[in-house]
Amino acid sequence: MTPAFGRVFFLFQRVLLRGASLLVPRRQRAEWWREWDSERWHVRQSYVPLGATSWQVSWQAECAVTSFCLGAFKDALCLRRHSRQKEPFASLRGSAAQCILWLVAALAASYAISLLLPGVRAENQPSRYQVNSGLILIQDARVHNDSVATIPLEQYREWKGRTQRYFDGLAFYRINKETVSTGVHAQVGWEVAHASSNLFALLGLPVRFIHPDGDADGNMPRLILSDEVWKGAFGGNPQIVGSVLRVGRYQARIVGVVPNGAWRLPGKADAWLLEPDYEIDAGGMGHVVAHLTLLGQSEMQAPHVEITARDPDDAEDDLWGASLEERTRGPWDNFLFAIFLALLALPAITSVSTGEYGLSVHQPSWSGKLCRWGFLCAKLVLLLPIVYFSSLDLAYWHTAFYSLGSEYVQLVSSFSICLFGLRWVLLDQRQRCPVCLKVVTNPAQVGQASRTFLAWNGTEMMCLGGHTLLHVPGFSTSWFSTQRWLYLDTSWGFLFAGSGAGMKNEAITGSSTH
Amino acid sequence: MGSDAKLSHTAAMILQALEAGFVYGFSIMEMTGLPSGTVYPAMRRLERDELIRSHWERQSIADAEQRPARKYYKLTAAGKATLEASRRRYPLLERLIPSEEERTV
Repeated sequence: MTPAFGRVFFLFQRVLLRGASLLVPRRQRAEWWREWDSERWHVRQSYVPLGATSWQVSWQAECAVTSFCLGAFKDALCLRRHSRQKEPFASLRGSAAQCILWLVAALAASYAISLLLPGVRAENQPSRYQVNSGLILIQDARVHNDSVATIPLEQYREWKGRTQRYFDGLAFYRINKETVSTGVHAQVGWEVAHASSNLFALLGLPVRFIHPDGDADGNMPRLILSDEVWKGAFGGNPQIVGSVLRVGRYQARIVGVVPNGAWRLPGKADAWLLEPDYEIDAGGMGHVVAHLTLLGQSEMQAPHVEITARDPDDAEDDLWGASLEERTRGPWDNFLFAIFLALLALPAITSVSTGEYGLSVHQPSWSGKLCRWGFLCAKLVLLLPIVYFSSLDLAYWHTAFYSLGSEYVQLVSSFSICLFGLRWVLLDQRQRCPVCLKVVTNPAQVGQASRTFLAWNGTEMMCLGGHTLLHVPGFSTSWFSTQRWLYLDTSWGFLFAGSGAGMKNEAITGSSTH
Repeated sequence: MGSDAKLSHTAAMILQALEAGFVYGFSIMEMTGLPSGTVYPAMRRLERDELIRSHWERQSIADAEQRPARKYYKLTAAGKATLEASRRRYPLLERLIPSEEERTV
């Protein structure tokens, strides 16, 4: 082999050793590297013919040195395992307590994140966004997206002027971009909802810092700010309530602030300009909110209802009324629905058994059974709040406001996390020793995997406590279809003399498997 | 670890090789025919269990011979006792790896 190839191999072998050294714990790495680099040098030299340079070795010799270097990975992994066994909590590894601790940590993390996200905080306070009962949002039946405004102001006025059998309150709003003067020279563009003066009273939404003269000052339109604008444009100053702003061509008095997350109707507004119906500019479509009479509520059997109305030209309009309770039900209903769906879907992705079989000769004690079921219940109990908080965290990670999009994200993430969480709970339960609840480990393939179909094969895993051996068949047969536990008798004791000795003996005897 | 500990055949071979005078990893590999991925991890375990101990060769010796210094291993008292027990368990051990004196005879 030419010296150039020899140099390439030399570099490759050093790169292999360097790669393996990364697996070695940092404090042992320098000495480990020194030993392996020295040994590599000596191995290489042993193949150098007399009178040749160290680059002039045969192809077979290079392969032998490379093979020697590949062994460094096993050595590095061995050191890594030893290092982990020395860790203060090594005895907890794989135990039920460790599993519970991880779940508690995940729950604490998801809860802590939820406290930092304003959208989640708002979601968890239903009193902020719950509206009066018996409210519906009316829209054109031909438009299925309720964020699109579909009702002309004229039609709303026409309904308002008539006596209604099914409604005892109607309110209109339309969101327009308006220029707002927030100071002497400061002008900003806000999304302003031009709304009927009764909108907030009809909805029953809470308004903070209500100005005492707000209702008395009948001539001037009232302005309610969103929490975001109040904090962004006015620094969260409560003294701003009562002052007058110019909104478009109107002078309006600020009368209050809507708490964050309270507004859940279609359209995002920075402020609501409450005006008498006759002062709202005609032109453009808006949304109509209606309060049902008792007769109307009795007619509404579902969250949606079809409505036929006559427009100003006496033509029939097909309308669609959607209950506002749908939009203000909070995250809890979504969460419960996602759990229901996940429970339905669970059998499709994993067996729902916990891996304990009545056919087993060994009958575990009642206390053992109680511990296993208690552990399973504890995992489930911890999993559910993790699903709840983490799905809300995902839904409101980028937004502080409720939207249908965030509701969908919450539903989908609740379902996914719950489904795969339940799958993990069951898989984990099936791989825990029924005696000590530790995860079985050291998997070993048994049987002849593919030589012949009749030679069954599977995987066997050992409890490090020396209690059990778990056999998982590679494929189901009519006589051996599911995993089964083999309880080890006392003759296995010498391998597992105490938990610490168990590990030590495992390591010593482990060398025979190489 | 007591002298009655049951060693695997590999570990017993390594102890026997060390006693026979093969005192570094590569020489043990050559003597036993085991690959590096078996010999070195087994020696780590034996050292962890205080059956063998290691020391670095003096740098001056290595420099004089123009080569890197080697790490040498030797049996501890516990290792010698364990090897004795292993010889009873694996009677062919001494024939596989004869001691230095037997090789020179």
